[in-house]
Amino acid sequence: MSTSIAALRALIEQRFPDATPLTGGAQTAEQVATGIEALDRVLPNGGLPRGRLSVWAPQGGATAILRATCYSVVLQGERSAWIDGDNTVAGAFWNNAGGLYLVRPKTRIHALRAAEEMLQSGGFSVLVLAGTEPQGTETVRLTRAAREGGAALVSIGTSASMASVRLTSKLMRYRWRRTPFGDPAEAQDVTVRVHARSVGWNAHTDFPIPVTHHELRLSLESELADRRGLPR
Amino acid sequence: MSYVCLWSPSWPTGADFPADLVASLLGVAPRVAVGERRLIWGDARGLLGAPLAEKMLSIASDYGFEDTHAGVAMTQVAAEVAATQSTTQLVVVKLGADASYIAPYPLSVLSPEEHLTALVNGLGIETCGAFAALDAEAIEVRLGIDGVRLWKRARADDERSLFRLPLRSLPSATLEWVEYGLRDPERLLFVINSLAGTVCTSLVNRGERAREMALVFSLGNRTQRTHIVRSSRPSAEQKRWMRLVREELDKLTLPDAVMGVTLRVESVTGNVGPQGDLFDRGFASAPAVEDAIIQLTDDQGDVVVEPVNSQHPLIDERTSWVRRTDRDDRRLVSDGKPSLTLQLLPSPKVVTVDTQPRRDHEVPIRYLDNNEWHDVVEAAGPDRVSGGRWSREYAREYFRCVREDGMMVWLYHEAKQEAKDWFLHGWWD
Repeated sequence: MSTSIAALRALIEQRFPDATPLTGGAQTAEQVATGIEALDRVLPNGGLPRGRLSVWAPQGGATAILRATCYSVVLQGERSAWIDGDNTVAGAFWNNAGGLYLVRPKTRIHALRAAEEMLQSGGFSVLVLAGTEPQGTETVRLTRAAREGGAALVSIGTSASMASVRLTSKLMRYRWRRTPFGDPAEAQDVTVRVHARSVGWNAHTDFPIPVTHHELRLSLESELADRRGLPR
Repeated sequence: MSYVCLWSPSWPTGADFPADLVASLLGVAPRVAVGERRLIWGDARGLLGAPLAEKMLSIASDYGFEDTHAGVAMTQVAAEVAATQSTTQLVVVKLGADASYIAPYPLSVLSPEEHLTALVNGLGIETCGAFAALDAEAIEVRLGIDGVRLWKRARADDERSLFRLPLRSLPSATLEWVEYGLRDPERLLFVINSLAGTVCTSLVNRGERAREMALVFSLGNRTQRTHIVRSSRPSAEQKRWMRLVREELDKLTLPDAVMGVTLRVESVTGNVGPQGDLFDRGFASAPAVEDAIIQLTDDQGDVVVEPVNSQHPLIDERTSWVRRTDRDDRRLVSDGKPSLTLQLLPSPKVVTVDTQPRRDHEVPIRYLDNNEWHDVVEAAGPDRVSGGRWSREYAREYFRCVREDGMMVWLYHEAKQEAKDWFLHGWWD
């Protein structure tokens, strides 16, 4: 019996060289804590798994939480990287931290190459791939690179076939500061609900996160008076 | 002692000067220079001056110049005066006595320019010592910069550079062959790889990193082709240079077979790096990260970037992205807490928006994007921004709109244009 199991295991390893045995593996992988206690409580083993792929569906709040995770990693003395595949990072809201590397590639292929290169270096704890979703063999290559380099790879996307942890988030309720007329003036914070799923794992949590304002300058046009009625 | 000066009234000047005498002098002195006014200089820095001068005199005597005089001093001007003005064959000026040695001699021993000679004579100054005793300010006011130079020489403060330091040679390696011409790129790469190994080993031994290398091909038609290979960051790694060389070879076409290759370092930088903390968890992997960043930069250009923000009223005009500088500063991270921030589309996207009146303005109630209507449940605004009157005028009314799925988007329309198109500019995430 044991011989046949060993043979089966060898056959599976030969057929699927990139597969990772779940028995014990998912339970013992090292984690990268996100730095958000409420979220870490609902993640398997208390964080994003190192050397594995996690996929976060882009439904609101993913960027804020993952960026906070990157900063948290930097505060712990390690490094993180953000691949901005669709060039949507607004420079006014980017924190120039020393251990956080921002990559703005020109094409999708460049984004994937950059991710693979940085993962293989072994110098990053977390790498977030945003705006570029790997497909098929690309996912295999990136997963392999993450395993070699020991980084927690997080892809913001929906293709979760090889993901160790699948995450979704949704922005639930905004708390507004209102004008004297009762109109919404400024969003103060929003409650985000995060679902974490893995093999044998399904948990969710709600927690509030503040909203950073966009720092628009006032209008100088006499014909276009600023009507927000808010003290600045 | 530093300088030995030989002077003879009988040896020829200019092109007639016996070159083989200089060659013989080089047998005893590390460096020899033939100067003006029948002077020959020997470099005695780090050597005993008097024995060296005696050997040089002996050699000059062997060539038939029996009347040669030698002066040995710490400064060139004192050695020259000792050689040319003294009646004895060899004069050694004592250490630190250069200025006092030349002080009693007339100022003419310093070979002043003619206009200076007239001016100094007008002042009634005859000796070097008298001239050296004047104030520098007085000399500069009365005699100008040439006077100051002469005054410095009179004080045995000689700034002339007789012996230039030889240029430091940079590592290079060459391989040539004559039996055949090489046309196979793989073999060529093999040869270059061997040369790169030699050059990079030499760089490592010298504690340097190369900024750029020259790849020189000697061709069968007796011409040479030189290609400069540059790395985005200095490196002494063979692997990195070979990758750059391969990229260079992919781009070039050689007109004939290759008969020899030279790989030469063109410029180097010191092998210095930032100090790190051994207990820092990221310290051990810093070189690997640097390598990865270098490779990315070489492959894709400046893609590892950081923002430089201005105070422009428009957020999309506020940021310019520059190449990230090397640093490891964690102080810039405030607390690592999450915050919903604005994400910007690379360029605003035209969308169809339905509005409804709210007091004296219109607010969006839904918008069409990618053939899908999104209902707006809350809309804050308008936030009005305008400017650019002297360049590209703009006047926009922005709305922060929360969709029914919870996403907050940023919509605006042009406030002053006839056709009030609506744009989706970004979202909070």
